[in-house]
Amino acid sequence: MTPETLPGRLGWLATLRLAWRNLRRNRRRTWITAVTVSLAVLLLQLSIAVTIGVERQSYDNLINYQTAHAKLYAVGYFENREELPLDYTLTDLQELQAAVQQVSGVAATTPRLVFQASLSDGIDQVACFGTGIELAGSDTEVFRIPQAIVAGEFLRPGEEGMLLGSGLAELFDAEVGDWLTVLTKTRDGAYEALDLPIVGIVGTGNPVIDRNTFIVSLESARYMLDLEEEATEVAVRFSLGAREMATLRALVERVEQLGYEVKGWREAEADFLAFAAMKRLGSVVMLSIFVLLALVGVTNTVLMAAFERTREVGMLMAMGLRGGGVRKLFLTEGALAGLLGGAIGSLLGLVLIAYLASEGINIAALYGDMDIGYPVKDRMYAALEPLTLVVVWLATGVAAAVASLYPAARASRRPPVEALRHA
Amino acid sequence: MTTVAARLDSVEKIYRTGDVEVHAVRGVSLEIESGAFLSIAGPSGSGKTTLLNLLGALDTPSGGTVWIGERTTNGLSSRTLADFRNTHLGFVFQTFNLIPVLTARENVEFPLQLQGVADRGERRRRVDELLGEVGLDGLAERRPPELSGGQQQRVAIARALVKNPTLVLADEPTANIDSGTALEIMRLMQQMNESRGTTFVFSTHDPLVMRHATRLVRLQDGEVSSDERQAGVRHDT
Repeated sequence: MTPETLPGRLGWLATLRLAWRNLRRNRRRTWITAVTVSLAVLLLQLSIAVTIGVERQSYDNLINYQTAHAKLYAVGYFENREELPLDYTLTDLQELQAAVQQVSGVAATTPRLVFQASLSDGIDQVACFGTGIELAGSDTEVFRIPQAIVAGEFLRPGEEGMLLGSGLAELFDAEVGDWLTVLTKTRDGAYEALDLPIVGIVGTGNPVIDRNTFIVSLESARYMLDLEEEATEVAVRFSLGAREMATLRALVERVEQLGYEVKGWREAEADFLAFAAMKRLGSVVMLSIFVLLALVGVTNTVLMAAFERTREVGMLMAMGLRGGGVRKLFLTEGALAGLLGGAIGSLLGLVLIAYLASEGINIAALYGDMDIGYPVKDRMYAALEPLTLVVVWLATGVAAAVASLYPAARASRRPPVEALRHA
Repeated sequence: MTTVAARLDSVEKIYRTGDVEVHAVRGVSLEIESGAFLSIAGPSGSGKTTLLNLLGALDTPSGGTVWIGERTTNGLSSRTLADFRNTHLGFVFQTFNLIPVLTARENVEFPLQLQGVADRGERRRRVDELLGEVGLDGLAERRPPELSGGQQQRVAIARALVKNPTLVLADEPTANIDSGTALEIMRLMQQMNESRGTTFVFSTHDPLVMRHATRLVRLQDGEVSSDERQAGVRHDT
C-alpha cells in the first residue's frame, strides 16, 4: 500500500485539501496571520538580498582596488605586512611574472611597491600609504583604478604626479593641479622628500584607498625609496570564469617552488570577511526574531482552530483517524498559513529586491560620509537570488509547521470521548 | 444461527475526578445480535452514553469485557482502538458532526479514504450508491451549512454505513431535528437495517426512537433495569 492508502491515515492530498479548506473557514484570522508572517519574511528577504549584494560589491571592490585575487610576496613579508617592510622585496620580477602567467586561470600580473609615507601641503602632515604602480599597462590589467578617478586623470607614463585618495584630498582641501610633498624613509633609514602634483583624485569607496593612499609611478616610488628594480608584491588577477580556489592552489604550488609565498585575497582580508560574517549573522538573527514573533501568530491561529474544532477532532478520531493524522492535519494548516504569508512576503520582496538590484540604495544620501563598514562606493545594490527567495519561502513553511507542533500535539492527545463532549 | 455483533460481560465504568468516584456503568451484561435495532433508553445520568462509548470503542471499561464481533476492545492502545473503529464501527451523532468544509459526497467518502480505499472510482461508486439510498441524489455537492438538519443527518447515516460496519452507534439521533424529520430518519435507519442487515444501537430519550426499536434496553443508575424485545413500529416503504 502507498502512504496515501494506509488505513487510519489520511493521505497527503486529502490532508492538504482539508487543511486548505479549514484555513478558509476563518478567513480574517488566516489573513491577519499571513500578513504578519509576510511582513517578517519581506524584511528577512530584503535583508538577505542587501547583505549578499553589499558583500559581493565589497569583494569586487577589494579585488579591483586593493587585494587583486592574490598577491605574491618574498617570504617573511606577509607576516610583517602591517609595518610595510622594505627588507622583503621581490627582485627578479620579470622571471617571476612569466612563471606565474603560465599558471592556468591567471589572466594578468603586475608589480607594486607599497610603502609608508607622509604627505604634506606645507601646513598639515598626514601619515599614509604610498603605492607605486607600473604605468606601462600591467597595473590596469589587474586593478581598476582608472574607473575610480573622480577628478583629473590617470597617471601617464613618463609624467610625474600622483593620484590622491578622495578622503586625503578632502583632508588637505586639495584639488587636481595642487602640489603635495611626499616624505619617505629609505630602507637604510634616510629621509627623502619629493614634491608631486596631483593629477587625479581616486574615489573607490574603499576607506583604505580613499583615506590613506596615494598612488605614484613605480619609478617615482623606487626613486623615493632608493630601490632598484624591486617591488614589495606582485598582484595577480584570475581569468573571468576561472575557479578561484583551484587557480589559487595551482598558483601556490608554482610559486612555492620558486621560493616565494602567495596569499589569496580571502586570507589577506580574513578580518573583513570575519566582520562581514558577524554582521550577516547579526542581521539574520535579528530578523529571525521578527519571523519568530510572526510564527507565534501561527501557533495562536492553530491553537484557536484546534480549540474551536475540538468536537470535530473527536468525530474524526471516532471515525478512526489516528492521533498522528490529527497532528498532520494541524501541522499542514500551520505550514500552509506560513507558506501563504511567506509567498506574499517573498513576492513583495522580489519586486523590491529587483528594484534595489537595478537602482541600488544611495549610501551618501542615507549615511553621508559615515563609514558603513563595507568598501562600497555611492550605491549599494541588492542581489536578486531566486533560489534564496525560494529557500526562505520554504523555510517559512517548515518553521510555521514547527510553530504548530504544540497545538497539533495538544489536539491529538485529547481522547475522542472527551473531545466529543466538548461544548 | 444468530451471530453476535457485540457483547458486554459484567462491564463497569468508573470515572474518577480527584477523590470523587462516579460509577457510570455497573456490571452490565448484554448480548447484541447481528441485525439488531436496539435502543438504550433511560433518564439523564443513567449511563446510556457511557455504554454507547464503550460499545463504540471510544472508551475502555474499568471492569468486565467488551466484545465487538469476535474481538475484545479491552487493553487495546489508542492507536489500535482508532484502527478498530475505522474498520468495525459507524457513528451517527446528535449534532450530525459533519465536516463543514467538505461536500456531502466528500463527507461520506472520508471514512473510505481513512480505510485506505485507494481506487477513487470505487469510492465514488459506493458513496453515490449510498447517497441515493438515503435520498440525497442531487445534493452531493452541497456542503453541510447548505443542507437542512434532516438532510445533514442523512449524510451522517450514509457516512456511518459506507464502510459496511459491524455496528452503527447513534447517540440521540433525533434530538436536534423536528418530529416529522425524526420520523423520516427513523424510517431510513429501519430501511437500512432491513435491507443491509446492519446492526443499529441507539441511545435515546425520544419515545419515537424507542417505539421503532425491536429491542429496548432500559438503564437506571448504570444498571440494566429492563431488556425487552418488541415488534417495533414498521412503515411500508
